[in-house]
This record gives sequence, structure tokens and C-alpha cells, in this order.
Amino acid sequence: MKEARGKVPKIALIGNPNSGKSTVFNQLTGLRQKTGNFPGVTVEVKEGRLRFPSGAEALLIDLPGTYSLHPTSSDEKIVTTVLTNPKDDFYPDALVYVADVTHLEKHLLLFTQLLDLGLPMLMALNMADTAAEAGIKVNTGKLAERFGVPVVSISGRTGENIQKLLLDLEKLLNGDGHHRRSTSAFYPLREVEKQVADAAQLNVATGSPYHALLLAHHHAWLPFLQKQERETLAAIVQTKDFQSLRVQVDETLDRFDRFTPIVRQTVSQPSVEPTTFTDRIDTILTHRWFGPLIFFGVMLLVFMAIFFGYDITGGWVESGIGVMIDAIGVGLRENWFTDLLTKGVLPGLQGILVFVPQIALLFLLITILEEVGYMARAVFIFDKTMRRFGMNGRSIVALIGGGACAVPAIMGTRTISNWKERLITVMVTPFISCSARIPVYLVLIPVALPHSSWWTKSLVFGGMYFFGLLAALGAAYTFKKLLRTSDPSYLALELPVYRMPHWKNVWLTVWEKVKAFISGAGKIILYISVVLWILGNTGPSGALENAEAQVKATATAEMSQDSLDDLVAAKRLEASFAGMVGKSIEPLIAPLGYDWKIGIALLSSFAAREVFNGTMYTIYSLESVGRVEEEEAANQRPFERYSRLRRQMRDDTFRDGRPVYTLATGISLLVFYALAMQCMSTLAVVRRETGSWKWPLFQFFFMSGLAYLCAWVAFTVLSR
Amino acid sequence: MQRRYRTVPDLKQNESALTLAFTDPTLAGKLTAMGVLPGVRIELVRPAPFGEAYYVKVDGVRLALREEEAASILLEA
Ligand SMILES: Nc1nc2c(ncn2[C@@H]2O[C@H](COP(=O)(O)OP(=O)(O)OP(=O)(O)O)[C@@H](O)[C@H]2O)c(=O)[nH]1
Repeated sequence: MKEARGKVPKIALIGNPNSGKSTVFNQLTGLRQKTGNFPGVTVEVKEGRLRFPSGAEALLIDLPGTYSLHPTSSDEKIVTTVLTNPKDDFYPDALVYVADVTHLEKHLLLFTQLLDLGLPMLMALNMADTAAEAGIKVNTGKLAERFGVPVVSISGRTGENIQKLLLDLEKLLNGDGHHRRSTSAFYPLREVEKQVADAAQLNVATGSPYHALLLAHHHAWLPFLQKQERETLAAIVQTKDFQSLRVQVDETLDRFDRFTPIVRQTVSQPSVEPTTFTDRIDTILTHRWFGPLIFFGVMLLVFMAIFFGYDITGGWVESGIGVMIDAIGVGLRENWFTDLLTKGVLPGLQGILVFVPQIALLFLLITILEEVGYMARAVFIFDKTMRRFGMNGRSIVALIGGGACAVPAIMGTRTISNWKERLITVMVTPFISCSARIPVYLVLIPVALPHSSWWTKSLVFGGMYFFGLLAALGAAYTFKKLLRTSDPSYLALELPVYRMPHWKNVWLTVWEKVKAFISGAGKIILYISVVLWILGNTGPSGALENAEAQVKATATAEMSQDSLDDLVAAKRLEASFAGMVGKSIEPLIAPLGYDWKIGIALLSSFAAREVFNGTMYTIYSLESVGRVEEEEAANQRPFERYSRLRRQMRDDTFRDGRPVYTLATGISLLVFYALAMQCMSTLAVVRRETGSWKWPLFQFFFMSGLAYLCAWVAFTVLSR
Repeated sequence: MQRRYRTVPDLKQNESALTLAFTDPTLAGKLTAMGVLPGVRIELVRPAPFGEAYYVKVDGVRLALREEEAASILLEA
């Protein structure tokens, strides 16, 4: 079975959820890992490089956690798909089976199924540290003998025996492991299974009889089967009257009957099971009243941490890049390229980087909650609530993540097995107020409520988050009524024991999310910044030059160079293509109380919402002031920032002399920014996750339409 | 007349019973794979705060089950 292709061997890590697979993966590969997608499907796979003590290398693939080769979610289907298709890109040369030794029996079902598939395999008994504490003793030699595979006792957490694992694994790859041949299957097929497997083996080329049986069970969805193979298998199943579901259950029970005695002979467990630490904590954390209360408390803390994190780090990043932009601006000659760099690319980059600290912080907190074992409890508590809205308890993790950035949050919905629940979660997550909305809210709230107290403003700010959540739930409820699916939906979730977080896991996960944001959202933000720069700096022939000449001709002697430059910038923007578009959509947005200047800002918000602020500064001839105020912001209380811009906005009037920014316009804008789909990066991710442009387009029109409608209602009601 | 079996939601808090069989083949597949087998002792630890889900314990393993998942597990009298 050795590969003659001369490539590095492929090894797959496999195991049940919570077996510690990811921890072992991190131990083995460290930072030499990347996340990719299985071709054609949207389940992610982690790959990493592994180096044996001999210096040889191998590719390590982390397969999704699953309980059985008879899968129920799209995550789990991947495992069966890969392992039953020798032509698959990820088909491994050997398997490392990770089992939690403290519950060995629960982890042997999948293991014995894999045994019968006949791939070379090694069993890693993980959590040796916990086992030792609990007084669990395992006779690894005897286990190895009974199953016919090498067995190593390891700890992903302490790194114990990882080197030995590598040694044994290399031996296994070289064919020295005592790997049992598939002649004697662990589970002898029953009569009906045998008949089906034999027929399948005759008609569709397969390896072991169990392999053939799996193809027969799952022919309806296994993606690699040819049409003809599928039909043949369907016919076999039909003629043999093969009751797939029932047979699967019988197989599972039979396997348990066979390996339970083996566990009894090889594992000695202290018999009494005391009320553990986990049970005591859960009496509070899943308590009828305290449970939800604590959850909301934790969320409040998380979001406060993010807001204050933004407050502090956002300022640093802004001024850091501001300094860089200034330095480059000074160093380079003034031409269009410098301008593109300092006004298009670098601010775009700034727009990406300002969010990195918050996204890192939110995912740090979520990952810790997840590592500790708390998230599973939140899923349990809110499953019912989420289901009322057509989602799944697991959706709660995505909705929380949406508070930082919808892009990584949406990528995290892959654990939801039901297509409809997952789709709804993906569709409504962008309603949750993400970090890009914070700076916009900070400008708009004081513009809308100039004379209100700090408390009122803070309340409105918090209210915006609440409003986003309401919109998400309302939309979800609507989708629930509209969409149909026959996919089964499950909760059936293991509640892991509480553990201290393993920091290496935490850092690697956070790093992964930040990378997902930078590569998923970052690139698009950068492109759009460039496109917007072009729109804002080009116009019908001669228009920009005319505008500039006009300003200079009418300029008075008292004007400082800065204000002259600012005025030129404002007039150029007005004359540019962006300005033209802004003006041409004015009739469309007038019912919401907006003028063409806001039109331009709305347009430019498609890169990232907070571009709103920068555009407003330029339009109001405050470009140079803007840079100063952005830097000052770090030292000011939230609602006191951007004061010159706000004053300018408040003073602005329509052509007929009515003020533009009234309470009604301010609120209408806030509503619009809360609801509108103004994030190309999110749309791109939604396309990737749903596999077509249909859903992102729908999402765009749905969210923006709703934003328009609600902003119009707000404006109309408030301006009476 | 068909005898009505008790199911997990019929248990009182902290009460346990032996499982007997499953009513739904799809759920049975999922539950057995997770170690909820016929003949094991299942304990109802507590219902979810808002209802429609149960925190159960099987063989030292803690699971969260939905109403219909829990109700598909028939118990010995
Ligand atoms: N004490 C101890 N804890 C471990 C060990 N390996 C993993 N853990 C912890 O077990 C929990 C689950 O580990 P993961 O690596 O996320 O498990 P997984 O199998 O990848 O789980 P899924 O991501 O749900 O598939 C985490 O809290 C780990 O820190 C170990 O050897 N000893």
C-alpha cells in the first residue's frame, strides 16, 4: 500500500469530538499549520507539517471530530467521504486515532469502524495526565494486542510521549508497526450486510468488505460516486431490502458488545464516581435562573472589554498609521501615486488594522470560554430560544462573534449540521453590531442628540446593539417561516468537563481567526479602498481641474494653506465620479433625510463602515482637521470626539436653508448603519460558505431594503 | 392496548433509569454513537432553564439532549 508517488506521506488525525484532537494537532505541528477548504464543500480542514525524529516529514490532516462513520452533519460527512475514497486528495497513508482514555469505551466505536476499513492506524490514548490523577490505569500492551495496532499513551496538554508517538508513527509508515491485515474484521458482517457488501464489491471497486458496506449505506450522498455506481448501489440496497438506518444501529450496538469486554480487561477504573467539580459548577451555571443571568453577565463583560479595548487600541493603531502616512507623504514626491498610496491604500490598510486588536480580543474571550467548556453550556441553555428563531443553540457562538466581525463569525457556523439553521445564522449574523459600526455610532449619536447627557448617549449606544440583535432575531424568524428543509436537526451535544484553558490552543485559535479576518476581509477592504480612491479622484474630463481652479480663483488672502487645501479637496470630491454618484442618488435618499454628501459617505462605506468618518471630513473641507481629530480621539471621552466635524455637520443646510442634521436625520442614519449590508467582505464570505451568489445577493437586498424602510419610517415619524 | 413506556422527560430531576430502546431510527443512530445504548443507566441531571432540553448523564458522560431526542429514549419501568 506504499505510495509510489514520491510525495510526503499523508497522515490523518481522527477521533470523537472533545477527544483532544486539535490539541494533539497543535502539539505536533505548532505554527506550521494552515486552514484550507475541502474542495467543493465548505468544511474546513487544518493541515500541518510534521517532522519525525529521523528528519523525514509528513503532512498531517486534522479531520473533523465525529462519533461514527455513519455521519449526521456535513462536518462528519467529510470524514466518511475522505476515508471511503482512495482517490481523494486527503486520503491518508495512515491514521492516528485520538481517544480520550478517561472514557475509552465511548471512543472505540469509530476506532473499530476504522479498523475494519483496513488503513494502517495507531491509537493515541490522550489525556494521560487526567487519567493519572483519576487513578485510571491502562494496559496498553494488552490493548495493542487485542486490536492489533500500536497504542501510545500521551497527553496533548503536557506533551508527554509525543516523541514516542512520532517514533511509532514513522515505524507504522515504514510498515514495521504490527498492523493487522483486514482478513479478520473486528466486526463480522451479519448476513444481510454481507450480501450487500459482496454485491457492492462485485460492482463497484472497493477495498475491505466494510468499505463496500459503507458505500452501500451512504451511496445517496457520497459525492465521489459516479452516477452509474450510485444507481447500482441503490439497486442492490433495494433488492436486498436493506434497512440502512436499522442496520447501522445494530452494527453500533454489536460493536459496543464486542469492545466493552476488552475495555474491562485492559482499563482499571476506580469504581466510585464522586460528585465532581464539574457537577458542582454546573448546578450554578446551568441553573434555571442563575444560568441565563450569568450568561448575560458574561456577555456584558465581553462587550465592555471589546468596547474599551477598541477605545484604547483603536487610537494607537490610528495614530500609528497616521504617522506612517505622514512620513510617507513627506518622503515622496507629490503625484497621483503618492496620493493613491496615502489616501487610498494606506487608509484602507488602516481600516483593516484598527479592527485587529478587537477581533483578537473577542475571539480570545470566546476561545477561552470554549476551551474552558462554558460555550457548550450556553448552547444547551439557548437551544430552545434559538430554535424559536429557526436557528440552533450552536448559532449563539456565531452571533456573539458577530459583535467583533461577521467574517470569522460566519466561518464558525460550520458546526451546525442542519442546512436551514446554518443558513439562517449566516444570513442574520451581519445584523449584530460589529466593531466597524462603533466609530460611526460615536459620530452620529452626538450629532443626533447634541444636547443630551452623557448617560442618554451611552444608553442610545447600548440600544444600537440591542436594536441589531432584535433585527437579527426578527429576520431569523421571518426566514424560519419561509425556508423549508428536510435535513434532520440535532442538539445531542457532549458537555465537556470544565478545564483550565490550554493556552497554546487559545493562541493558535485566535491567530487563526485573525488570519481569517485579514485574508477574508482585509483583501477586499483594500481593493475597495483603491476603487473608491479612483472614483473620488477622477471625474469627467477637466471637471476636477475646473473645480480646483475655481476654488483658487475665489480664495481670499486670509485663508491658510491648510484650509485652502481642504476646500480644494472638498470641491474635487464633489466634482468627481463619486460626487456625481452621490448627487445622482440624492432623490433616492432624500426621503430618509439625507443630502448628496451623505450619499457619498454611504457609497464609500462599502469598503468598511467606518470609512464614513473619513469621507465626511473630506466633504466638509476638514481633511487636515480630520487627521488631527482622529489622533486626539484616543485621549477624549467617546462622545466628545470629532468635535469640529460634528459642528460642521450641525451647521450644514439643504439648499432651501433647512438644517440637514436634525434629530430625525441623525436617528435615521443610525438606523440605516445598523441594518444596511455595507460590507463586501461579509458578502464574499457568505458566497464562499453558501456556495453561490444567490444568498449574498439576497442578503444584500434584504438587509439594505430593510435599512431603507426603517430609516424612512424613523425619519418620517421624527420629523413631524 | 399498547403499553406506554416512560421516556427521559418523564424522569424527575436526579432520577435515573435503565434505557430500553429508541423510538426513532435516525435519532437512535446518533444517540447510540454517542454512547447512549440500550441497557445503560441514564440520569436526568436537570432540565434546561428555558425548557425543551435536558442535561443528562450516561456512564459519567454529560450530554445535552433536545426534547425530542430525550423523548425518543424508552426507559425500563
Ligand atoms: N487534561 C488534558 N486536557 C486535554 C488534553 N488534550 C486536550 N485537552 C483539553 O480537552 C479539551 C478538548 O480538546 P480539543 O483539542 O479542542 O478537542 P477536539 O477533539 O479537537 O474537539 P473538537 O474541536 O470539539 O473536535 C480542551 O479543553 C483541551 O485543552 C490532555 O492531554 N490532557
